[in-house]
Amino acid sequence: MHVASLKLRDFRNYARLDVEFSPGCHLLLGNNAQGKTNILEALYLMATLRSFRGVGGSQMIRHEARGYFVGAQVVGQGVSEIKAYWSPRERKLSVNERPVRRLSEYLGILRAVIFCSEDLNLVKGSSQGRRRFLDLILSQTVPGYLVLLLRFAKSLKSRNALLKQVNPPEAELEAFTAELVLAGTAVMEARNLLVPRIAPLVRFAFRRVAGDADDMSVVYQPGFRGDLAVALANARARERLVRTTVVGPHRDDLLIQVNDRSALQYTSEGQKRTLAVALKLAQAEYLSEVHGSPPVLLIDDVMGELDAERRAAFVPLLNQVFRSGGQVFMTCTEENWPRELSQDLIRWTVQEGKLVAR
Amino acid sequence: MTRLPPPLEALVTALKGLPSIGPRSALRLALYLVQTDAGVAQSLAEAVTLARARVALCDRCGGLTEQQPCFLCSGSRRDSSVVCVVERPTDVLSFERTGAFQGRYHVLGGKLSPLDGIGPEELRIALLEERLVSEGFQEVVLALSGDVEGDATAHYLLKRLGNKGVRITRLAQGLPAGAGLDFVDELTLSRAMEGRREFQ
Repeated sequence: MHVASLKLRDFRNYARLDVEFSPGCHLLLGNNAQGKTNILEALYLMATLRSFRGVGGSQMIRHEARGYFVGAQVVGQGVSEIKAYWSPRERKLSVNERPVRRLSEYLGILRAVIFCSEDLNLVKGSSQGRRRFLDLILSQTVPGYLVLLLRFAKSLKSRNALLKQVNPPEAELEAFTAELVLAGTAVMEARNLLVPRIAPLVRFAFRRVAGDADDMSVVYQPGFRGDLAVALANARARERLVRTTVVGPHRDDLLIQVNDRSALQYTSEGQKRTLAVALKLAQAEYLSEVHGSPPVLLIDDVMGELDAERRAAFVPLLNQVFRSGGQVFMTCTEENWPRELSQDLIRWTVQEGKLVAR
Repeated sequence: MTRLPPPLEALVTALKGLPSIGPRSALRLALYLVQTDAGVAQSLAEAVTLARARVALCDRCGGLTEQQPCFLCSGSRRDSSVVCVVERPTDVLSFERTGAFQGRYHVLGGKLSPLDGIGPEELRIALLEERLVSEGFQEVVLALSGDVEGDATAHYLLKRLGNKGVRITRLAQGLPAGAGLDFVDELTLSRAMEGRREFQ
């Protein structure tokens, strides 16, 4: 799978960009604040319809422009022409000139994994980021998971709206609880199946990146034990008090441990970074395993943050990408691009919102 | 900037307020109406006024009708032992086009939606209960949409009507006619599997 062309209009610092990419490893070089990461952001947006920087659409519009346009041609099993326009008033998304009605139909056209400094939040941040990590992998690998997740989110929101009422209506509450239990149980089953599958990949990736004897593990940690319907019934009294749904998959977490101790409390900053990279490597490897071809890798200056030894952990994955005709985009400032990857690099200079092949 | 004559401007504004008509279509329609044969505009105006005056919701089933009760409620040929519960008046038309249902209808006027502030009181559920008594239905067919709110509404109705001695059924959920399996989403497919029936 690769992105054959990218078209930007009024996106971040790009007024106008039309560029074609071949498969292989693309190195985006340039000084700071020239727009290297914005290219990765646009590509990630095509894959997930979200910014990996965690910002809303309006922040991606070029200064004083009305809206942004991002278009891409993706070559996977077929050729898909994606067009996305976003303005505060209007959003348009089409694939091969056909408007996209459901998010679940869209995801999967472009699979991408981003490596960026925000990944550190996977280890340091709240459980929401880790749930999102699991959910993204599941939406990229299990058909129908996103539909389930959206159903769960809708029933949770509806149920919470009922609990906020002065006298929560029992019969209605029961009706939406039934929906919540159906979708929620399925969501938890999917997460419960996924984690043991990625755990060995995470562990192996960590060993490769860390290069020492430390042992890492990831364990799915549901917010409660047992049957969701029963847990909800038992929590009724507490719910009446706090006026919100207190048990369910929205309280799940992914427990990250190093040498059987919580990574959050017992690891150094450098180790946390390594853990985050290991999680992302595992995501990329799992996607390759399931789909038979690697996702497009977007690497934002991570290499700079890791020393040479730790960088080497990327090499097997990158080699796999090259062998299968996949694609990598890597941003670097001139000085620190990794020498061990100097074979067949396609170099671009990014300067003031322009992309020039070198 | 030259402005449209005020009556034309008013027409454009009125058309723009209609569903699925944007500013451009509104302008195009308005320009057409003021330039075409006067009879066209006249008969359109009359048709709108007449339809608005004559068409109302049936007091009994909540469907669209010109007379009270509507012909679907009063028709003696229809099976008065079964009632089909739908969300909107247009759902009645969809079923009527198929000709597959010969019973009575009951339009709820929406579905439970706490996020939009729609509870059972906003829907025609109490009226349905009255009809169960007065018309003595033996079966209630729930024909609601398959999203979270539709399913929750069905669940709610089951609880509320379940102890009234009527049989409550629900539309089957499964494959669209003539579609290949590759085009069916997982949720539909798994529901179709769960709801499979003896093949005879």
